[in-house]
Amino acid sequence: MLKYSFRRILGMIPMLFLISIVVFTLAKLMPGDGISGEIDPRNTDPQYIAEMREKLGYNDPMPQQYFRWIDNFVQGDFGKSTRFKIPVADVISERLPNTLMLGITSILITYILAFIMGSYAGRKPYTFGDNFIGGLNYLGLSIPSFIAGVFAIYLFSFTLGWFPSNGSVDIGVTDGTLEYWLSRLHHVLLPAIVLGLLSTASYTQFLRNDIIENSRKDFVRTARAKGTPERKIYNVHILRNSIIPLITFLGFDLVAIISGAIITETIFTYPGLGQLFLQSVGTRDYPVLMTLTMLFSFLTLIGNLIADVLYGVVDPRIRLD
Amino acid sequence: MKKRSMLWLAALMLVLSAFLAACSGGEKAGTKKEENGGKSGETAGKPQDGGTLVYALDSSFKGLLNYSFYGDAVDDEILQLFDENLIDYDAQLKAQPYIASWKTEDNKVFDFEIKKGVKWHNGDELSVKDWEFALYTIADKDYEGPRFDNVRNIVGAQDFHDGKTDKIEGIKVTDDYHVQITFDKARVNNLDNLWTYPMNRTAFKGVAVKDMMSAEAVRTKPVGLGPYKVTKIVPGESVEMERFNDYFAGKPHIDKIVVKVIDPSLSVGELKNGTLDMTSFHPSIIDQVKALDNVNAITYPGVSYYYVGFRLGTWDGEKNVMNEPKYADKKLREAMFYAINREEWVKAFFFGVGKPVNRPIPTNHWIAAPNDQLEQYKYNPKKAKELLDEAGYKDVNGDGFREDPNGKEFVVNFSHYATQNPTFEARAKAMAQYWEAVGLKTKVSMVDFNLYYDQLEKADKSMEVFFGGWSTGSDPDPTPLWGSKALWNYPRWVNDESDKLLDEALDINVVGTDTNKRKDLYIQWQKLFMKDLPILPIAELEETMAVSKRVQGVTFDVSGKNRPNEWWIKQ
Repeated sequence: MLKYSFRRILGMIPMLFLISIVVFTLAKLMPGDGISGEIDPRNTDPQYIAEMREKLGYNDPMPQQYFRWIDNFVQGDFGKSTRFKIPVADVISERLPNTLMLGITSILITYILAFIMGSYAGRKPYTFGDNFIGGLNYLGLSIPSFIAGVFAIYLFSFTLGWFPSNGSVDIGVTDGTLEYWLSRLHHVLLPAIVLGLLSTASYTQFLRNDIIENSRKDFVRTARAKGTPERKIYNVHILRNSIIPLITFLGFDLVAIISGAIITETIFTYPGLGQLFLQSVGTRDYPVLMTLTMLFSFLTLIGNLIADVLYGVVDPRIRLD
Repeated sequence: MKKRSMLWLAALMLVLSAFLAACSGGEKAGTKKEENGGKSGETAGKPQDGGTLVYALDSSFKGLLNYSFYGDAVDDEILQLFDENLIDYDAQLKAQPYIASWKTEDNKVFDFEIKKGVKWHNGDELSVKDWEFALYTIADKDYEGPRFDNVRNIVGAQDFHDGKTDKIEGIKVTDDYHVQITFDKARVNNLDNLWTYPMNRTAFKGVAVKDMMSAEAVRTKPVGLGPYKVTKIVPGESVEMERFNDYFAGKPHIDKIVVKVIDPSLSVGELKNGTLDMTSFHPSIIDQVKALDNVNAITYPGVSYYYVGFRLGTWDGEKNVMNEPKYADKKLREAMFYAINREEWVKAFFFGVGKPVNRPIPTNHWIAAPNDQLEQYKYNPKKAKELLDEAGYKDVNGDGFREDPNGKEFVVNFSHYATQNPTFEARAKAMAQYWEAVGLKTKVSMVDFNLYYDQLEKADKSMEVFFGGWSTGSDPDPTPLWGSKALWNYPRWVNDESDKLLDEALDINVVGTDTNKRKDLYIQWQKLFMKDLPILPIAELEETMAVSKRVQGVTFDVSGKNRPNEWWIKQ
């Protein structure tokens, strides 16, 4: 297992290198640059723009620009955001906590809901309750998150007034107090539910189907024949087996937590990495854009690795060498 | 697993496209409003103290919260609440003494005096040394903001910038309240172009110029002179401000101002719920805002105008050269102007907050020429057709569209910028229809906004005729936009007489300090411009602002809102 992981990690290095070339090329292929959006005759004189382009090295040959970027990148210097004019690491670390908060809350909601609904539906398949849950799930799967977001805001923020419609925290509270954390939770709940809708639906269906499938297996019949109580059969024998495929999702969820939610964050004006990513594309903020893409790529690779390793851990039939 | 990611991708694409279409705005990217007009307009009742005002921004702020470093309109909106300019601009955008007053004999040497007892938020008293500090910072070679142009004209500033001297010769501080600034040359607009925002020296103490942009005093703990002081900043999300009791122009009434970033799609709902008191909004939602009982939808004169430009030449790296023959015939340009029904077009696409404009200067600027002195170019398709016939643009092959005088196929390649705003394509097409109605075949292309001006600069083929807009500041001089050496002169229009008039209007020996004389020259210039018609001025737009009815004492003029110390909330 260790050997396998190690080999995979080594294999990531050339992969990341290739990704970096693609990311850089794609970014540079986008017409315009971080300066071109700032043109305003009363604010900026052409000389300033020319000077800034020179200073930022936009006039150097492509390969030279690439090697400068990758060289600094490897040394942990991600450059300076052309939009915010501060180091990219600072920009990202300002928003990372918000994204983590949103991602983790959303995943927790997903797991809890999917677990409850899935095990209920799996235990009583083809009943009214199961069909009801199934209906809800397909609804959840088919409603795009921007629609769900707008409706949730309309209903829960504007009409009922239960949740705030924007921001990550109430500015009036003091940092670090209980009140502060409650305010953050209050702000994050609605976007997290909207974000979790889609994955809740698919997780529920996965769990349900697995439970139904397992409940027809021989070991369950044996357990029934022994006179094991029905509750124990479901909660111990079946559930343990049915959760295996779900655990392997964990690797991908890790990526989802960090990469944020472009749409949800924008609709809820929630300053996280997803929103940052979208704005950086719009303003051609290359340094932020490239760093975020590299970060997401790296996490996807790691997530894949974790998923593969977990397969081996939870299911001994799969051998990793 | 594959399936799931494909599904995600499909969902994402769908969501993205729909989302982008649903969003509005962005038209005036980079629009900058000059400082406040300072006009008081108290409504009925006596001001009451207290309350919290919630002010919304429609996109996230960069957080460059110091005038010397900021670059965009969003940061500027926050800055206006807590910092001050030393001089002020009136409703015609003329400079007025404010914290600083000045004397000058020759428009070259200026003696400034600042008021005594003006306090910074950190308790320091304002000194001209704070201003001197700002000027030195901007002139520094490590300074990365966009303001050096406003300091360059001071004697010795360029040498200081290039590292040749360690002192700017043209800045002489006599004492804490007096400073003399000498420019390299007498110009009429020296004052308009001068940087007049001071920087607090204590807050920036020990910070090297190259680190200033990321310093606390710019990012998280800005210090200003304005009626409110910043108490807390959540980056990219909100700013909390508190009343500044020692504000030099009188104690403000409202206790707290909270500035929040709210997605434009939410602003109507927030306004309706009373959780938002003040925000600017895109004209496309004006009917929804007007329908709210608790909110006033206010429009006030703006300083931006929109036009259709023709590519008449190219940029040779230093100046414009008129060498493109396609639209060189003035009759063709005139015909295309007569063909446009501007009244109808503006009504249809500017949501009732725009009106046709007849010159490259917004109506509210003090140099604007009155309409009766200018050719009006009223909608007249018959005249347009006649002009085209005269110029030799006739349909020779019978396809219903005119060919050029040589009998070759003639197509107007018209481009318009594209943002998330869905009305842009419709309005570009409507424009094309006007031209097709008089027999000119038109091809419309939409270009992403961020690239639009870049491609114009590079003279892209599809952009022979283009839609554009400018927003002007307090300096009336049109040279940066329409001079023959101006990069922003996208039509690449060169006219010796225009250059002469523009130079004369800035020449101290011709106009002296007589603003009427100067205005006369600008009126002559506008007449010339409208006769030569390098662009077709289309419309000017009013600014739109929503203000909750519980907020009193807010007034607007062409230079923006009045200062927040005059606002109050009905309890």
